Amino acid sequence: MIVKRISEFILFLLILSAVSFVLIQAAPGDPVRSMMKTDDTAISAEQMDSLRKELGLNDPILLQYGKWLIRFFQLDFGHSYMTKQLVIDELLKTFPATLELTFSSLLVMTVIAVPLGTLAALYKGKWQDHLSRIFALAGAAVPSLWLGLLFIQLFSVKLGIFPSMGKGSISHLILPSLTLGIAMAAVYVRILRSSLLESLSQDFIRSAKARGLSNSRIFIHHTFRHSLTPVITIFGISLGSLLGGTVIIEVLFGYPGAGKLVVDAILKRDYPIIQGYILLMGALVCMINILVDLSYRYINPELRIKEANKR
Amino acid sequence: MKKKYSLGLIISLLLVFSTACTSQQSQGNEKKKELTFLSNFPSETLDPHLNFTPVRAGISETLIKVDENQELEPWLAESWESKDNGSTWVMKIKEGIHFQNGKKVDAEAVKDSLQRNIEVSEAMKASLKIKSMEADKQILTIITEKPLPQFPSELVHPNTAIIDSKAENIEEKPVGTGPFKIQSFDANSSLKLQKNSNYWDGNVKLDQVTMMFNEDANARTAALQSGDADISYRPALESMEALKKDPAIKTDFVTSLRDQFLLYNFKNELLQDPNVRKAFDVLLDRNEVAQKTLAGQASPAEGPFVPDSLFSPEYAKKEFSIRSAKSYLSKAGIDMKDGKAFNDGKPLSLKVLTYSYRPELPLMAQLLQANAKELGLDIEIQTAENIDEYMAEKDDWDIATYSMISDPRGDAAYFFNAVYMPGGAMNHSNLQNKELTKAIEKLNETVDKAERAKLAKEASAIIDKETLHSFIVHPKNFVAYKDDVLNWETSKSEYYMITKDLDVKTKNQ
Repeated sequence: MIVKRISEFILFLLILSAVSFVLIQAAPGDPVRSMMKTDDTAISAEQMDSLRKELGLNDPILLQYGKWLIRFFQLDFGHSYMTKQLVIDELLKTFPATLELTFSSLLVMTVIAVPLGTLAALYKGKWQDHLSRIFALAGAAVPSLWLGLLFIQLFSVKLGIFPSMGKGSISHLILPSLTLGIAMAAVYVRILRSSLLESLSQDFIRSAKARGLSNSRIFIHHTFRHSLTPVITIFGISLGSLLGGTVIIEVLFGYPGAGKLVVDAILKRDYPIIQGYILLMGALVCMINILVDLSYRYINPELRIKEANKR
Repeated sequence: MKKKYSLGLIISLLLVFSTACTSQQSQGNEKKKELTFLSNFPSETLDPHLNFTPVRAGISETLIKVDENQELEPWLAESWESKDNGSTWVMKIKEGIHFQNGKKVDAEAVKDSLQRNIEVSEAMKASLKIKSMEADKQILTIITEKPLPQFPSELVHPNTAIIDSKAENIEEKPVGTGPFKIQSFDANSSLKLQKNSNYWDGNVKLDQVTMMFNEDANARTAALQSGDADISYRPALESMEALKKDPAIKTDFVTSLRDQFLLYNFKNELLQDPNVRKAFDVLLDRNEVAQKTLAGQASPAEGPFVPDSLFSPEYAKKEFSIRSAKSYLSKAGIDMKDGKAFNDGKPLSLKVLTYSYRPELPLMAQLLQANAKELGLDIEIQTAENIDEYMAEKDDWDIATYSMISDPRGDAAYFFNAVYMPGGAMNHSNLQNKELTKAIEKLNETVDKAERAKLAKEASAIIDKETLHSFIVHPKNFVAYKDDVLNWETSKSEYYMITKDLDVKTKNQ
């Protein structure tokens, strides 16, 4: 089982590396223009062409990929064209910040979504349900950038409670996490509500009630646990997209993460960084999916029983 | 009696203790002079040979700098001269300068720094064209691959900053000669600096500076308003009125060295006709662009260089006239029938390329489109993600709204060579004007400063006469800062920001 998973994982990374390499190279753009700072220094087309040859950018794509793959197997991701630093160092330097932001946003999302979603399901059609619907609608409609600016105006400019940008202390994390967390919570409130309502109508809940179990015990141990399966599936996807897509918030709050690094790399056509980032994210998303799969077995005993029967 | 002695002793001890406390307290009250500067320029590395931040932050310095009139002035170099036609340069390095780690700055150290510079930066290697260097005490002799009369101006480039090339971790903690040393650096987020007490050029006023980086203009405005920043470089233009009204904030506007202009595609036969280019030249109201599109934060342009530049000739007054545009098009053989323009019997339609990084450029394109409509000209606007790549790779555009700095380092050679010479990296449409090429070639062979200025003026006059490009406005650099900030100067070049003189008011001031 584990060997199968690992070989699938390696095959996935190889396919991802080949596809992304070809796509990056095939896309229009020229890293030499940024490297030579053509908007700032008097460079001739001849000098640019000479650098292109030196970097092997004029070689056929397959040859370039082959060279890259050999280095990859030696765990060498190359150097950034712009900063001349090792790609792996650049990614490791920025990735912890993105990870911090991702987990703090997930925390905010959980703190908001779980109580609101639960209340909406337990009080279906009542004001609690309406309130959660309004929150979900507003959260989905408001762009994160605008919400972020609003928070800066309120909490930094008017109230002076939290810093408007930067990184360093927990207080620096609050506004970006709130911005990302609220936008995500809007989605989760509705998912959790529908999932809970579906679980409440299941036979095993009725039989638990018939056995005389207390309402709170039924809710926590049976209803809520059963409702988590679809939520965790979406959670896995969100985690992947959060790790890769917090760039707008990183720019707004001056929070230096991997999202900002890769957007800059795309704009400057820093191919080694883009390639390294895609592989890192691909590996992470793949690992998250494996963890999500494993979590199903823990949350849903039905799956465990089915698997045991198969054996 | 003993009691009296004891009491006296206790009182004396209390007095001594209280005095000690007072002195400690007064030391504690001596507040450190600190300032937070918010920059719009990202900084992914602090390697001075790859990034401008070390010079902007006062960490490192170059051999030569430009003053506010864009004239070259000595910095780490005391003097320089060319022994021949511009391929041998003798630089005398100032005595008594030390790096922030105490090492002496002599010709050998400068040579090592420049050597590293051309090894790590392809751009600097290509522009400095250094063939060999020889160091002797404070004299550094540099030989270039070919005559390079603009060599001193190239040494103004912040990427030529002189650092201790033997020091470790140059990408995060370079050792320069500037008024501030690095305390810590978080790429693209913040840079903490502390005063270099042994600075060679006098007393440094601030004790500590925090430089923060944020590319969002609205966030930069909010940071200033919330007190997270003392100086905000280029806050949002929309916030200008609100910031001006705030009594605790000062605003500063300085005409930059940047041009917003119309670039013509010379691969299009129609645009090879000067009359067609002149028609578009008079089709944009420069004052309207400056006052409305850029909210008054620009001045109308006449040529590539700002009016008071040494390289600007006397220009005839730039006009805005739909009627004149019509007349120029008529001279170019464009027929006007029923309010529509026809070329060779076909309705005339042109593609204007623009990009959104500078929000005023798409607006300029729209203004051109609206005015062209009055002539019966159909203009399609296309926004490119990367306009340089688009122009270099495709020929399907006719006009582009473009922006660049024409005179970053006190010499016109960069702009002329990059934009107008055949094979220049920014000569996207392969523009070739014999008269101009000859003038630039002459400029490239001339070392004498006054003669170079004269030749640059002549080249600018040719560009104007032929309307090779249409220069519309010079935008202003906008900086807002708290009223307790002292000695802030918005530099035209945008190379120098944190200086030894920058200061903040203390309570007593």
